[in-house]
Amino acid sequence: MSLTTSEHESTEDGEHHHEYLPAVEGAENPGGEHESAGERDKKERLMIWLFIGGDLVILILEVFAWFYLRTLDSNGMWNAAKCTAAANCVDGLGNPLIGPVPKASIWHPMIIMSLAIISALFVWAAESASRRKAAKGAVSGPALAALVCMIGAIVVQILQFQVLPFTTIDGGYASVYEFFMGSTLAHLLLMGFILTGLWTRAAKGRYQGGTFHRVRIMRMFGVWIAISTSVLAIVGGFFV
Amino acid sequence: MSIATAPLLLEDTPLGPKAGGLYRRQNALVGLIAGVVLAAIGWVISHALLQGSNWGSDMVVTVTLTCWVIGFNIGIGTFNAPFRWVVGKDSTREDELYGAGVGQGAARYWKYCTDHKVVGTQYFVLVMVLFAIGGTLAMMIRTQLITAHSSFLSPGTYNNIVTIHGMIMIIATIIMVSGPFANFILPIMIGAKDMAFPRLNAMSLWVVVSAVPPLLATFVLGGVDTGWTTYAPLSVQAPPAMDAFAICIITFAGVSVTVAGINTIVTVSTMRAKGMTMSRVPIFAWGSVVSAALGLYAMPAFLTAMSMMITDRATGTSFFVNQLGGAGWLWENVFWTMGHPEVYVILLPGVAALMEIASTFSRKPVFAYKAAVAAFVAIASLAIMVWAHHMFTTGWAPNLATPFMLTTELISIPTGVIFLVLIGTIWKGSIWTRLPMYFLYLFLWNFIIGGVTGIYLSDVPADQFFHGNMFTTAHFHYTLLGGAMIAATGAVCYWFPKMTGRMLNERIGKTAFWFIAIAFQVTYFGQFWEGFQGMPRRIAFYDPIFLRANQMSTVGAYFLMLGWMILLAAIIVSWRNGKIAPANPWHAKSLEWKVQTPVPLENFLVDPVVTSDPYTYGEGVPDGQNEPSAAPEPELVPVGASESSKGEGAS
Amino acid sequence: MSFEQQFDAIENEITEEGDAPPFFSRPGGKIFIIWLVFTAIGVVIGVFAPHHLLPGLQSGTGSDVWATIVFFSVLAAPVAAFVYALSFYSLLAWRPKKSGSSDEPPPDGPPQRGNGPLTIVWLGISTLLVIVLLVWGMTVWSSQQVAHDGALQVNVTGQQWLWTYEYPGTGVTSRTLELPQDRPVQFNVTALDVIHGFWLSTMGIQTDANPNENTVIRTTPTTLGGFVVRCSQLCGLNHAFMNNKGSVVTPTQFGNWLVSQGATTSAAAKSADVPESSLTPSSSSTTTAPPMNTAASQ
Repeated sequence: MSLTTSEHESTEDGEHHHEYLPAVEGAENPGGEHESAGERDKKERLMIWLFIGGDLVILILEVFAWFYLRTLDSNGMWNAAKCTAAANCVDGLGNPLIGPVPKASIWHPMIIMSLAIISALFVWAAESASRRKAAKGAVSGPALAALVCMIGAIVVQILQFQVLPFTTIDGGYASVYEFFMGSTLAHLLLMGFILTGLWTRAAKGRYQGGTFHRVRIMRMFGVWIAISTSVLAIVGGFFV
Repeated sequence: MSIATAPLLLEDTPLGPKAGGLYRRQNALVGLIAGVVLAAIGWVISHALLQGSNWGSDMVVTVTLTCWVIGFNIGIGTFNAPFRWVVGKDSTREDELYGAGVGQGAARYWKYCTDHKVVGTQYFVLVMVLFAIGGTLAMMIRTQLITAHSSFLSPGTYNNIVTIHGMIMIIATIIMVSGPFANFILPIMIGAKDMAFPRLNAMSLWVVVSAVPPLLATFVLGGVDTGWTTYAPLSVQAPPAMDAFAICIITFAGVSVTVAGINTIVTVSTMRAKGMTMSRVPIFAWGSVVSAALGLYAMPAFLTAMSMMITDRATGTSFFVNQLGGAGWLWENVFWTMGHPEVYVILLPGVAALMEIASTFSRKPVFAYKAAVAAFVAIASLAIMVWAHHMFTTGWAPNLATPFMLTTELISIPTGVIFLVLIGTIWKGSIWTRLPMYFLYLFLWNFIIGGVTGIYLSDVPADQFFHGNMFTTAHFHYTLLGGAMIAATGAVCYWFPKMTGRMLNERIGKTAFWFIAIAFQVTYFGQFWEGFQGMPRRIAFYDPIFLRANQMSTVGAYFLMLGWMILLAAIIVSWRNGKIAPANPWHAKSLEWKVQTPVPLENFLVDPVVTSDPYTYGEGVPDGQNEPSAAPEPELVPVGASESSKGEGAS
Repeated sequence: MSFEQQFDAIENEITEEGDAPPFFSRPGGKIFIIWLVFTAIGVVIGVFAPHHLLPGLQSGTGSDVWATIVFFSVLAAPVAAFVYALSFYSLLAWRPKKSGSSDEPPPDGPPQRGNGPLTIVWLGISTLLVIVLLVWGMTVWSSQQVAHDGALQVNVTGQQWLWTYEYPGTGVTSRTLELPQDRPVQFNVTALDVIHGFWLSTMGIQTDANPNENTVIRTTPTTLGGFVVRCSQLCGLNHAFMNNKGSVVTPTQFGNWLVSQGATTSAAAKSADVPESSLTPSSSSTTTAPPMNTAASQ
């Protein structure tokens, strides 16, 4: 293929032609970048979309498992609806099981879902503050609020494990429901980690001066977390 | 810094004593120690808390091996950057250069090195190690089957070997082209300085490394007797080795391959050289991107399936236990949602590499480039719609047999286009029969057989004879080993000079080729024969009527092994002492051949600008220019450096 | 000459006199001949080999398998032959001398980047072949789904590591599978523990045995003789041993066998669809097992 030199690389003495962009005050990774923030951002946004795509596959399969086992109702053990005292159903450890398996409280998933949504909204507020070059506090404030909401959601999710009216051994509904809870918890923990970074770095002034790109991708991911949490909450809560 | 003291090459930049921070102390040995230590802590704690409880040993194994994976990755340095980020620190330019391996010499191959060329080389060695293990297991299988009732292996051990052989080969074939070549070669090929996310690149390699010990640990944890497809409920009942198996998959597929796929897609999408539109990109880039995209669909499915498997085994959920509301069919569906796209994830990069080879060694452009791209995309799209052809005989959904037969047979259309592209490239070319070209011809022979036998399997009534039969085994070995792995071997021979700076010894290589080519046919025609006779697969002992066919297959396998070992010998001998390779031994036209060998850090001393695709053979212009011009071709070799002074393998 | 002209000249091999050489001395012609030879070889193998390699088939569904293999092989032969012929010819005709050991590449080939009409024809032929294969498969498959009234029901249960066959209505449970000739049979297959594969290869039928589920497969045995049922789904330690013998026998022999397994004569006669009088009551001698149907050549 044909090659020519590019315009901005020219020296007279054979020195290697790497050009570094000057450090930008308040920017991420100050000093020594080959590429502009815009180029970096393009890559990171595509990366987030692809990551969300992969996570979407996981979400779809979880929801598929729910509806498939619910429809199949193998051995009547989706939620043991037909298991009377006479029917001699047993759970996963061989104990007698009388159905139907009680439904989990709707409040936990609804609260978790709401907190995830509110958290995403706070990240959006942080992004707007960063975009309009507001003061440091205007970014780190909403960031902290987002983190607090996320921690709240995590706490509620952990609490829910303790107050469930069933355990994993009680059939299909119980199994998939608890899997939803575990999956939600894992995603919330990941988001909590990201929001911790958002808060600490916003407090250090990294996202002022219009360098909002990283906050944007965190907002994108936070919105996705809110969506996937909501889907699992709704399916698990309303489609028993 | 003044011009007089500026280093000539980036990798010669002198770094301060603190550059790199924690990375200075981290390497594979530290990772190993940290992994073992954390695993031991995990074992002690989980054993104390959980051993006596229900599913205790499953939970203990799961916790212990998860701690191994996390510990190893802490030790090697995977988590350095995220934790530095979360507390608000950033790396300096010196840290980044240290991370890229500056100043560390050969030691950087044992460390978390962000230079894509180092990662590519590490993958190359890892792939060879995995094939060696998987191949040894294969020879144990064939040795067992040389007589009808051998006492070489007990049935339990045999089943475990079959399982691990399958899984290791799947791991190795998934990364055999995307690991070494999409990492080392692809960024250079598109004019980039590195991958889009160099740290994630290093991470995806070391995560695979950390995934392998759990897989091998299955041998001492009771073995997995289910085959690599780990159908439930047999796998739910398997010994704790199955949890180790699941941890391996979650780590390898769920983390490493997914991340590596994202990296490849972002790199090709955003980091191409100026002037390189997607229609000027080498076809290998397209194959790698489409494969990565398909992997992004398939690998999360594997992660989900194995997570459900772990919860079924260690916490008592019943995803896959029919008596408790689950379904073996759920496992099969989720598994094959991964399992079918996965074979195209394996195949496409190798096929794309062969298209490059076909072009270079026929001295002609890739024939019907756009059709090739369309074929890749069509294969990937159809691949997600055919999964239940693995389930024709399960009784799962008899009404869906016909739709899945339709989609499966449709895939043969874009696959046919691939043949059109390959033979169209050869048509009236100037065939240069150097070693890489040998593998193209062998692929053509093998993949026709593999593809055609797939058609038999896709026919639902015929599948009732062929499912679970050695015919199926022979089919997928023809496509995966005879097709994809032969393509990968061609890629090794093709890019070996660029990656190692040495020419691969062709005399030894061609000897290996003939052993492999002929022994392969003997081995797997023996298995087709077994299949026609009605021999099931995955059995340690068989009816004596299958004896002759098995003997044929085993004898072939031994010669096949010999062939691979001769090739390995060629690789080792040439890597150490081979003839120094020129920068462009194949006189090819893509960008990786325009840089010097060994390739400097960040690849290009001068940012390339391209004006055509790399297939300008026969268009009457000197190598490298599209039309005659007064200006000479700019030198890409740095002033002062010469090829012979850098002759010791990669920089 | 311009590049287009050069390319056209190579493509058509127009001599300086302006006449095209005869078809069979052009590359296309030579490849055609090689293709014919390879196709002939492939067709011969495809038509004659399956019969010798397959075990003796004992039902319509089994013969369907054989017919499918032959038909698909005959269709595949020209396709494979084309790829092989062209590859083979390329090494004969387009490989410059000593190219294998040369460090310098041979001169460039023509800059032929594609051929639209060829690609369309190629796609068209592949699509046509796929349609033919699909229609064949769908036809055969739907013919196998037809349920017959009065079919003999056999309940098959797989467990680690043996098969049990129950003949409802007769009270017979057996570890060997006896089937009457020319009578449609429906297998209702399930498993007790893990997934097994109920595979009767000589009849070309197979279905998984799933715990808590019932799967159905149908056939009509037509040829007398023994067969082996093998498990086709890896089911644990002794999967390799999960085989058992069976045979296709005449209806009378079938009835007698049922009686020998403990059925009443009337139930056996009903099940075997023969008059009760033709059965030898409580016969303790079972029929000797007919010879195994194995492949004609090994």
